[in-house]
Amino acid sequence: MSATPRIHTRSESSETVAVSGIGAVKVDVRALNFYYGRFHALKNVSIEIPERQVTAFIGPSGCGKSTLLRTFNRMFEIYPDQRAEGQIVVDGEDILKSRRDVALIRARIGMVFQKPTPFPMSIHENIAFGIRLYEKLSKAEIAVRVESALTRAALWDEVKDKLQQTGTSLSGGQQQRLCIARAVAIRPEIILLDEPCSALDPISTAKVEELIEELKNDYTVVIVTHNMQQAARVSDRTAFMYMGELVEYGPTEGIFTKPSKKQTEDYITGRFG
Amino acid sequence: MISRYRRRRLLNAFNLTMAVLATVFGVFWLVWILWTTIRFGAGAVNAALFTQDTPAPGASGGGLRNAFVGSLILLGMAVAIGAPVGVLAGTWLAEFAARRRLGAVVRFLNDILLSAPSIVIGLFAYAIIVDPSGRFSAYSGGVALALILIPVVVRTTDEMLRLVPGSLREAAIALGTPYWKLVTRITWKAAASGILTGILLGIARISGETAPLLFTALNNQYWSTDLGHPIANLPVVIFQFAMSPYSNWQSMAWAGAFIAVAFILLLNLAARMLLGRRRPRA
Repeated sequence: MSATPRIHTRSESSETVAVSGIGAVKVDVRALNFYYGRFHALKNVSIEIPERQVTAFIGPSGCGKSTLLRTFNRMFEIYPDQRAEGQIVVDGEDILKSRRDVALIRARIGMVFQKPTPFPMSIHENIAFGIRLYEKLSKAEIAVRVESALTRAALWDEVKDKLQQTGTSLSGGQQQRLCIARAVAIRPEIILLDEPCSALDPISTAKVEELIEELKNDYTVVIVTHNMQQAARVSDRTAFMYMGELVEYGPTEGIFTKPSKKQTEDYITGRFG
Repeated sequence: MISRYRRRRLLNAFNLTMAVLATVFGVFWLVWILWTTIRFGAGAVNAALFTQDTPAPGASGGGLRNAFVGSLILLGMAVAIGAPVGVLAGTWLAEFAARRRLGAVVRFLNDILLSAPSIVIGLFAYAIIVDPSGRFSAYSGGVALALILIPVVVRTTDEMLRLVPGSLREAAIALGTPYWKLVTRITWKAAASGILTGILLGIARISGETAPLLFTALNNQYWSTDLGHPIANLPVVIFQFAMSPYSNWQSMAWAGAFIAVAFILLLNLAARMLLGRRRPRA
């Protein structure tokens, strides 16, 4: 295990149980290896992601943090030369070996990408599209769900008068919140955020970060970020990755104030990466 | 330093001059063609052109009504066959065979078909339809034109779909969208104006095709909408009338050419407008 007991934590009591005492584990990654063709991108990564907390993956470009995130919803499967070995246990089920329709796994695990990806349809339809994939609802019920999703994503007030306009007519920050709303609308349990703010201006970034804080009340949030301040601001636990390996993992405060590994310290103090 | 800079400036001026001259050379002929068509054609356009059928040899008056209608029927058939086939094949190439060897092979074959001489296509349609059925017919012409249209539509559909960002596909897949729904609801929609533009440009391409129609739809001096029989059509009428010794036929050929050019111009404008409406922001 990479996390060590001597890491500082916010609450004194959890100090001695930093490894297993993180509350309920939502995603349990065990000895995960990942390959892009011959390239070994993730090397024996094991990590426990706690339920209803924000976990951040940080590390220099190419360290495997996005790769790790993309295994959680089996996104890599659409590319034939990519494969994962190991286990990713979500609620007791190894999703890598699951025989269930992968769509049902993805329904429980929402994802938001680096660049906003509104679908080429109206704002309303952008949200309704995902809901209709899984549920047969009346127009009125859909409208309620759309409103609640947009409200959750702190976007409702800005778009309530123009729900029929196309999603691409919104600003970048609004588009990203639309994508978060779209993910939230199908009621997932886990939300994966892959550098959600890297294409946004500071004001939009602040809004999305506020939103992340909100989301963790109901969802398990995993965020990949290049921005260490962002990881420090929004996350409860931080994992530092380097060259495909999980170097250090623990409560965010500990990672940033008292990293136990030299590599982590070098990275967060800006000596490389 | 200074001499190198001067040399660079001179070279730049030289290349720029050559580029401008080449452009002028190209545009010069285009303008000449258009101008000639307008000069001889626009004056010959009159109401009778659209209300009367092609005249008998030596007869005065007449128009091109049967040729216009015949051409529209042929185009309609070609689009009805070619557009769905082309869009579906292009979709298969872009969405289902993008990383497969078979896809690369099919794409290559399609490119060959795209540049196949149209007279070969005409000969093919003659051999598989006209010859066995024993007569020239409108539908054999429609099939010949469709065969020319298909590779154009395949190519544009394929390219337009591959322009749809992969992130959009990933986003839809991350929601758990089944692939067929992703294609029909999202990528087709994202590429719709581009695909439609491809179809319009394809129509523009086939609307002037003459060679394949000589073997298939042939021509018809009279009004006919019977698909099993030869049908009048603008390109072949222009060909015959322009080659004829009768001056009224010749001027009618110019009028027909003018209308054909105007039609293609309108199609191109429509295509441009469609494309322009797309990408309000990238």
